[in-house]
Amino acid sequence: MSEEIKTAQTAPEQVEEQPHLTKKELWRVFRNQLTIRCANNYERQQNAGFTQAMMPVIEKYYDDPEDKREAYERHMEYFLTNDITSAIPVGVAAAMEERYATQRDVDPESINAIKTALMGPLAGLGDSLLNGTARPILAGLAISFIQAGLGWFGVLFFVIGMSIVSLGVRYFGVFQGYTQGVKLVAKIQSSGLIDKVSDLAAIAAYTIVGGFIPGLVIINIPIEIGSGDSVLNIQQTLDGLVPGLLGVLYTLLMYWLITKKKISAVKLILITMVIGIAGVYVGILG
Amino acid sequence: MSLFLQALLVAIFVTIAFIDSHTTQTHIFRPIVVGPVVGLIMGNVEIGFTVGIMVEMMFLAVIFVGTANPPDPTISTAIATGIAILGGGGTETAVATALAVSVIGQMATTFQNSIINVFFMHRVEAAVEKLDRRGIVLNNTILPMAFNAVLYGLPTFLAIYLGANYVQGIIDAIPDQIITGLSVGGNMIGAVGFALLLSSIKARKFWPFFLLGFICAAYFGMNMVGIALIAVVGVAMYYYFVLANDKN
Repeated sequence: MSEEIKTAQTAPEQVEEQPHLTKKELWRVFRNQLTIRCANNYERQQNAGFTQAMMPVIEKYYDDPEDKREAYERHMEYFLTNDITSAIPVGVAAAMEERYATQRDVDPESINAIKTALMGPLAGLGDSLLNGTARPILAGLAISFIQAGLGWFGVLFFVIGMSIVSLGVRYFGVFQGYTQGVKLVAKIQSSGLIDKVSDLAAIAAYTIVGGFIPGLVIINIPIEIGSGDSVLNIQQTLDGLVPGLLGVLYTLLMYWLITKKKISAVKLILITMVIGIAGVYVGILG
Repeated sequence: MSLFLQALLVAIFVTIAFIDSHTTQTHIFRPIVVGPVVGLIMGNVEIGFTVGIMVEMMFLAVIFVGTANPPDPTISTAIATGIAILGGGGTETAVATALAVSVIGQMATTFQNSIINVFFMHRVEAAVEKLDRRGIVLNNTILPMAFNAVLYGLPTFLAIYLGANYVQGIIDAIPDQIITGLSVGGNMIGAVGFALLLSSIKARKFWPFFLLGFICAAYFGMNMVGIALIAVVGVAMYYYFVLANDKN
């Protein structure tokens, strides 16, 4: 059980043998990854679940309480992707935390940048492959089994099939994400690109976040001015100009308030919820 | 089995199904499973299969992308099966009645994601400050999952034990503006999360890529796979045109 994952075989000249995560520890990551969406929330989505998934890794590699806290806080940032495919960034992040804790040669900021870069493609792929393909196919087959008089067999077939998909992808994500992640960081290190990785990851992360905002930060003003033929719908006018403008402006406002005015996130959340509810009440938001 | 016990068992099953949908995702929360299981509890498996298939077909092609509040197949199947077996008024009527009251599941999800779990997530953050591992697990997993019993189990119990009208009464009693307000606020608080994330990646000189991603999604309605490919282009251009030059 305590056999270590052999990843350094391909790079014999590697500086020193790192204490890699054991299979047992990776299973622990797998189990904690299952809670990725337990505390799913509109502020930062799966962040708390991601943090719990990283617990075995952080506890293993960090001794200093301050380092530990910093690592935990890193994973409390916004994270959203498909629940099942999220296992891949969990595995990759485990490899990067390990590298940072043991070698100190990766930029810790690049961990979040790479997570963010991965969440976009995996959300798209995960949702369409699993919910758009695997589930309808298995459900369709199950229905035809039941209609053919096989009853509970159809139900069982569906549950077992979906369990294989759901748990299998998670298993693959954690174990392969980790193994490939370890190799990837080592390769980047030897290519001399290590100090550029955070730049490359930041480019991807910025593109993904920019792409996420129109669908995830939505502000709609359902006000119409005038009457009859000359009615002016404010939202349609805004959308005609820049679709999703209010959402991105509100995000930038929050960014400014957090970084420049040092206003806490909790305060901003409360203020935002009050604006939302009050806005609906007086009819300027909807 | 008394109706009380049956309603209780169905509510417990619905709660477990929601916990599954939030964790292991063996998909016992789908109509095709919920129908027969509730049928078994209520004493008529055949009706359970019929309702399960009917609702599963309705939701077959529904793909939930991102955070859009999905219509609730689990609660509607459980209540529809219950009504069909108790009332005997035909499965179509039962499904129609159940779909109407399963709106409460959507309301519960909105409430869970915009209030309850935001609260628990901040408690996880407090636990992180104290390096309290138990606190992380308690507030990320145990308490939010326990809340599923209140949010989804309880309405199901009430609908089966006291009737769908009772749940309809609850829905009518909740002002529309509160639910709309919560979902409008919920759609806005993501801005705070994204702002925190952006401030944690300190590479402001790359703001044009932020704009690029935004433009692709907002103007062209590009999906996330497309955005990811754009990101690949950005990374490759930076690599070949900037980093390669630096090396020479």
